[in-house]
Amino acid sequence: MFDSLNTYIAENGNEILLSLWQHIEISAIAALITIIIAIPLAVVLLNHRRGGEFVLQVASVIQTIPSLAILGLLIPFVGIGTVPAIIALVLYAIMPIFSNTYSGLTNIDPVLMEAADAMGVSKRYKLFRIQFPLAMPMILSGIRIGVVMIIGTATLAALIGGGGLGTYILLGIQSNNNNALLIGAVLAAVLALVASWIIKALSGVSIKKIGIGVLVLAILGGAAYGINAALKPKTETIIVAGKMGGEPEILINMYKDLIEADNPNLNVEVKRNFGGTTFLFKALQSDQVQIYPEFTGTVLQSLVKTDQGVSHNPETAYQTAKTALSKQFKMTYLEPMKYQNGYAMAVSKETAEKYNLKTVADLAAHPELVAGFDADFYQQNDGYPGLKEAYGLNFETVRTMEPSLRYEALADGKLDVTDAYTTDPQVKKYDLVLLEDTKSFFPPYQGAPVMMKSFAKKHPGVSKSLNKLAGKITTKQMQEMNYKVTVEHEKAATVAREFLVEQGLLKK
Amino acid sequence: MIEFKNVTKTYETEDALKELTLTINDGELFVLVGPSGSGKTTLLKMINRLAVPTSGEVSIDGQNVAEMDLENLRRHTGYVLQTGALFPNMTVEQNAGIQLEALGWEATKRHQRIVELMKRVDLDPELFLKRLPSELSGGESQRIGIVRALASNPKLILMDEPFSALDPLSKRQLQELILHLHAELATTFVFVTHDMREAIRLADRLAVIHNGELQQLGSAKEILSAPANDFVREFFDDDSIRRQFMQTVVAAGLGQPITLVKTDRLATDVIVSGDVVKMAASDTIFSWAALVKQHPQQVVQVEETLLKPADLIAYLAQAKEAK
Repeated sequence: MFDSLNTYIAENGNEILLSLWQHIEISAIAALITIIIAIPLAVVLLNHRRGGEFVLQVASVIQTIPSLAILGLLIPFVGIGTVPAIIALVLYAIMPIFSNTYSGLTNIDPVLMEAADAMGVSKRYKLFRIQFPLAMPMILSGIRIGVVMIIGTATLAALIGGGGLGTYILLGIQSNNNNALLIGAVLAAVLALVASWIIKALSGVSIKKIGIGVLVLAILGGAAYGINAALKPKTETIIVAGKMGGEPEILINMYKDLIEADNPNLNVEVKRNFGGTTFLFKALQSDQVQIYPEFTGTVLQSLVKTDQGVSHNPETAYQTAKTALSKQFKMTYLEPMKYQNGYAMAVSKETAEKYNLKTVADLAAHPELVAGFDADFYQQNDGYPGLKEAYGLNFETVRTMEPSLRYEALADGKLDVTDAYTTDPQVKKYDLVLLEDTKSFFPPYQGAPVMMKSFAKKHPGVSKSLNKLAGKITTKQMQEMNYKVTVEHEKAATVAREFLVEQGLLKK
Repeated sequence: MIEFKNVTKTYETEDALKELTLTINDGELFVLVGPSGSGKTTLLKMINRLAVPTSGEVSIDGQNVAEMDLENLRRHTGYVLQTGALFPNMTVEQNAGIQLEALGWEATKRHQRIVELMKRVDLDPELFLKRLPSELSGGESQRIGIVRALASNPKLILMDEPFSALDPLSKRQLQELILHLHAELATTFVFVTHDMREAIRLADRLAVIHNGELQQLGSAKEILSAPANDFVREFFDDDSIRRQFMQTVVAAGLGQPITLVKTDRLATDVIVSGDVVKMAASDTIFSWAALVKQHPQQVVQVEETLLKPADLIAYLAQAKEAK
């Protein structure tokens, strides 16, 4: 196990460091903003007890909202990426820092406060030389709690494209890659411990020195940021995002390579594991993301309104989806690739032989089989509910589970039936049998890049580059690439590039 | 001169002070004494506006404190609290110099002044200036508290039960220090205490406060010998104090009434010869003893009673040892 961990670290060292740095950056900015808001607020409200109590209540209420929900609530206002992540972290950490500062400042021995008043010192002197120093241990412990919380919660930033160590945790969960999961989780924990230790060590240092230190850090940080910004080439950056998983990651890396090869003035930023369908679609609408690969089936089932049923002819389905996206959302849907990544019902070879299962219809006779579905599949109309009606299925036990776990559960015999994607590498790995969809219930799922019309018009070169993939990549090729990334843990960028070069779509 | 004119302080529904009028003279060591909750501390705090009267007026040298610049008033008024109340994050020197710093004194001048005052309160500057309050004993903290109050050389020093938390020995030493400082400086001290022995020991004049009202005003002697009411009598009702007064000697049944002595030859002779020293009931047995030391045969008359030197011995012999 440690061997594979070592190899993983050796292969991904740079990216890991980059994520770590991103994590530190997000956390530090969030912590700094929180401190700048919470401490002066506590000072201002010091002589307005009711106001102080009120803010305390509000901050505690915010804290009870799950962090994911805060992220979701913020998207319509501030979009996705680092900014909303930082805002959410700030909202979260305000409570411990504010409440500790406030109670630290208000719980000073009243005799000392009377003494200060009786000496006739100025308000400023009283605040900075007496109240703050006396409240400092409380304030620092509040900051400690806040910072540890920020570092922990910052792992969620990955969900909305904020980057950081959460990327590895998400990647680990999605692709069942323990190495990635371990690296993300351990580094985040270590980071939290180190930060907590540093702040604790600061409690022995005088305020003057802390103040000077913070100032120096701020100036250095600002300077570094300024120089960095000044040195950056003035090219346009476009963001290409993909849903969770290995396959979208391979595709967006292909997009990146193709676009950058043909358009030297464009810089493509890849955001992998960027979230679910609705999330990405909204991100595209609000121009947070410029391009992402979407399946025709998904467009027809979940994104656009159509009066007719979904066609089972791939070409018709694509045309319908394209027209609907164009009319209803002013989006351009480029030509799809060849392979189909549709849903299918999968059973193990033994189960198939034992019950003589060949088509989905055969399942109707065996309600005793244990079924396990991905949560989306279990709920969507084009998933289990529709399938149940179409084929008269009636499983007694249905579980919902993480897509990455269901194959293993099937192989272990804990499940008998599950939903699968036709290009999933595990189909090959576990030698699964895909049951025939005789009623053509599952709509065709062909992948193609989607973008706003305005963007496509402004960047004709991009469409041209991406159209090189039209009609390319067979189901078998995709399955193989997925196998390399998900099972063998090869880097998606490498796999994508190798394929493009092999196909002559990209010069070496 | 500090004047309280019809000062009333109302908290919620309860009166802490009721229409209280009082004058404190310049250079006095004036003690406000009374049980806890009597309003004496509130009265003290009105002088530097830590408390504000609900009605009435407090003035210093004819100027209403409500109209004075608050910071200026406080920077020129010494204030000593219970337990010293030094700021735990500052050294002794910083603590002691806080008013001077507020007044804008230079660091070197501040240092000189503090060193001088440290010596005055019997603390070695070398040893103590760099210490933190946590490294001081209760008595030492309170000495620093006194240095802090004296630093700006104020004309007025307010002390709020400064020695109530100290052990008896430190308390006694610090009381002596206060008496000593008061004798040296032309400063008015206003001292609050609930300890009537401390009040008697320190006060030039004292005011007995109870339930927000002035019960009696005068020197310790005046109050002890002629309590204005039951409360004052009970408040000062302490064997070791009461025993000091001639009236207690008489009340103990010693000596002989003048009417009776007329048949006594010796006494008659004395009266006839006029060799009797009259003493007041409020005089103490110590002044009687001093008299007897000079004139071993001296007979004294307290009101209608004649006392011989032998009565002094008899009185002291029957007195129980003070606890």
